[in-house]
Amino acid sequence: MTDLMERYLAAVKRRLPEEQAKDIIAELREAIGSKIEAKEKALGRAANAGEVAAILKEFGHPVVVASRYSGQDYLIGPNLYPWFWDAQRTGVGLVFAIVVAIAAVRAFASERPIQAVLQGIAGAIEAAIWMFGVITVIFIVLERTKTDVRIAQGWNPKTLPHGNIRAPKPLFDSVFALAFDAILILWWTKVVRLPNEFPWQGNRGLELHLSDAWAPFHTPILVLALVVAAVHVADIVYPAWSRLRSLVSIVGHFWGIAVAGMLYRARPLVDVIVSPGAEDRTRELNAIFEIGLGLAALGWAIGLGVEVWRLLRSLQVGVPGPQAAPKG
Amino acid sequence: MPISPDIIESLRLELRRGTLILAVLAALRTEKYGYTLRSDLAEQGVEIDEGALYPMLRRLETQGLLTSEWREDAKRQKRFYRLSDDGAAALSQLTEEWRAMNRALEAILKEGMQ
Repeated sequence: MTDLMERYLAAVKRRLPEEQAKDIIAELREAIGSKIEAKEKALGRAANAGEVAAILKEFGHPVVVASRYSGQDYLIGPNLYPWFWDAQRTGVGLVFAIVVAIAAVRAFASERPIQAVLQGIAGAIEAAIWMFGVITVIFIVLERTKTDVRIAQGWNPKTLPHGNIRAPKPLFDSVFALAFDAILILWWTKVVRLPNEFPWQGNRGLELHLSDAWAPFHTPILVLALVVAAVHVADIVYPAWSRLRSLVSIVGHFWGIAVAGMLYRARPLVDVIVSPGAEDRTRELNAIFEIGLGLAALGWAIGLGVEVWRLLRSLQVGVPGPQAAPKG
Repeated sequence: MPISPDIIESLRLELRRGTLILAVLAALRTEKYGYTLRSDLAEQGVEIDEGALYPMLRRLETQGLLTSEWREDAKRQKRFYRLSDDGAAALSQLTEEWRAMNRALEAILKEGMQ
């Protein structure tokens, strides 16, 4: 019944590294041959096809046997898996939130909102699958190349977040905020276009454009948005309050209030293009934007006050930031 | 609720995994080829799948713990394995480790029985 054995060995050989295949197969042939021989000795006759098949089955499926010679038991091993899962949660969550948010804004102004929402969800799922694939490939490469990931070894319990000045930011909040930052930056740099045409009085519509008042603030607002996004990225890595984060936050809030003030003085904030026959609502729309700007400035002022208070409190209670964690 | 046989089997495999290498290294203080190695281990109560044994022998050889040579025996070419000098040193260390662990476990198990 050597035919069955040779077919089995050929199936194993196809899956072995070429340079070792000959040697491994010679050893397996000898091992299986010995087993068949022992069986035949016990039976006192030649083994039949069923008996040989049983021996081969006991030896193991060719795929399993060959894989044991590869030395690579895991696609992503137990050492990397916790980091893989954490990266997936953050990466997939972030990309899903960004695409859904962009789709929601587009659907809001679409003539077919349900279709736009469905397209948006499909796009978000596709983007999430892509992100899942990219992160998976990165971790497979790390596992294959046995890259020494020292995140766990370099970990210091003393750097765990403090919660007495402000509770650590939940991951969901940081990811959601970062998704919003990404949309704002993409829109501000004209990478994506958000709808600015709105139906108004039947078939007539109006178009909103930012006025020239914003032009001098293009770069300062972009820098502010990038700083805020960087803070939200930092929140994902280290979700606790720290003095450095507080200082950046204070500067950001102050910056926001200053820009809002200068914008207010340079108003009108929006130019409105109205369809022929539609009533001009430029004044009312500008008033809405001015109220919005005022509310934003109020929010930043409250945020500024809270951050200054936290900073002063941290000086009183002596809370170290991650950079000031005791050594050793 | 009775414990599922799958859980017991998975725990049993986990428990055995590390000890098999020790058994193989110890058995190869005298030269053997794969089939006799497996038979000898089975006779002493240590069952090991061939599908796992041969890759393990190759891995231990790559790690320098075993040496091997092809030789004719009973009109067949067979690969004989034996412990290398490094393998003997490793076996000695692992044996110490095993005995210490065994003593500690025995004490814990006895404590639980009282």
